[in-house]
Amino acid sequence: MSSAALPSTTVQEHAHTDEGKFHLFVQIAMLLGIITGVEIIIIYLPLAKWLIITSLTVLSLVKFLYVIFYFMHLKFDKLFCTILFFIGLILASGTAAALLAIFSVKDSIPETAKVIYAERAAAAAAEAAAK
Amino acid sequence: MSAHAGPIDHHHDHTTTSGIPNKKLFMWGFLASDCMFFAALISTHVIYRLHPTPDTPDVRKIFSIELTSFSTFILLMSSLLMALAVGACQKGKVEATRKMILGTIFFGIIFLACQVYEFFHFIHLGLTLSSSMFGSTFYTLTGTHGVHVAIGVLWLILMYIRSFKPADAGRAWIARALLQFAAFAFATVSIMIVMLAITHAGAEQGYSLSSALGALHHTALSTTATGVFLVSCAILFVLGRSSWAVDFGEANAVDVEGMGLYWHFVDIVWIIIFTVVYLLEYL
Repeated sequence: MSSAALPSTTVQEHAHTDEGKFHLFVQIAMLLGIITGVEIIIIYLPLAKWLIITSLTVLSLVKFLYVIFYFMHLKFDKLFCTILFFIGLILASGTAAALLAIFSVKDSIPETAKVIYAERAAAAAAEAAAK
Repeated sequence: MSAHAGPIDHHHDHTTTSGIPNKKLFMWGFLASDCMFFAALISTHVIYRLHPTPDTPDVRKIFSIELTSFSTFILLMSSLLMALAVGACQKGKVEATRKMILGTIFFGIIFLACQVYEFFHFIHLGLTLSSSMFGSTFYTLTGTHGVHVAIGVLWLILMYIRSFKPADAGRAWIARALLQFAAFAFATVSIMIVMLAITHAGAEQGYSLSSALGALHHTALSTTATGVFLVSCAILFVLGRSSWAVDFGEANAVDVEGMGLYWHFVDIVWIIIFTVVYLLEYL
């Protein structure tokens, strides 16, 4: 690969930016560590399930975005890199959503899982009858 | 080191149509496709968790949230070192780049050692690839991720060795590079054996310094592994000291950056696996 050289007047600017990046990366790593700690604490808190799941999703998303935009330099690179990666991400999310939706339809539930559902239904019916 | 008129612009390449270095563009394309691969594996695992089969074990009794959290933290810190290695290489600081790459290799090996221990532990508890649908999807997903980490570690090792290539083309370095690679390979395998011996001894006798030291000469294998690890580290230390000019520097930053993109991708996949596969089990 051949790369283009910058004018010498920008050398000092680059040195200053690089120093700033070092501190930025360290701060982001510390933040990611703290978020991981918060995630572990959250699962033990007596909160509603939906609230915990939402919190974990948001925190994971924050970690994900920090890594791709700062550590992977998407923020500093050309927009096309972001577009290319997000095409993959969107397709991947779509695939995951489609698979989850397909297997949630009653007739698509795995045969082996139906055994458990039948057992649960029988247990619930027995409990109701006992009442 | 290659000669340049001035500092290189590492974010824009004016010689390509897109303005992006071709190697970087290829890596982003590859990572985009790898997203779909992991999405399929994660979805399969989640589907069978939402519709569990009768043979599904009590996962909470098997998982160790402490060990997994430690692995996650280690991988995050390795990402920091990788980002610093890319930064150092872009500034042409070869020595700093080597140190950061070595640190990333070290953390990568710790992560792999944790995963090897975790798999040993789970199999001991009866969770195997064929014991249940949960075992099949769990090992396929985390094992595939582990293979990605192992490939990343191998790539890092090769890049570290590459950084010693002499600028003088006449100077022989292949034999030296092969010895360095062999030392890395022996050090990695032996430290895995040592770690397993220490953790098994800790699980049986309680975790203490005496049990850890006792584990090192508990069996012939662990004693040999300890010796091999120390010798390999000594060889790496000696070979890691070079005084000659090297054909590695700012011009190779795009190679290090491509490797860094792969390593960070492995990290973001683990961010998702940690939440979806491990944390959600505790609700």
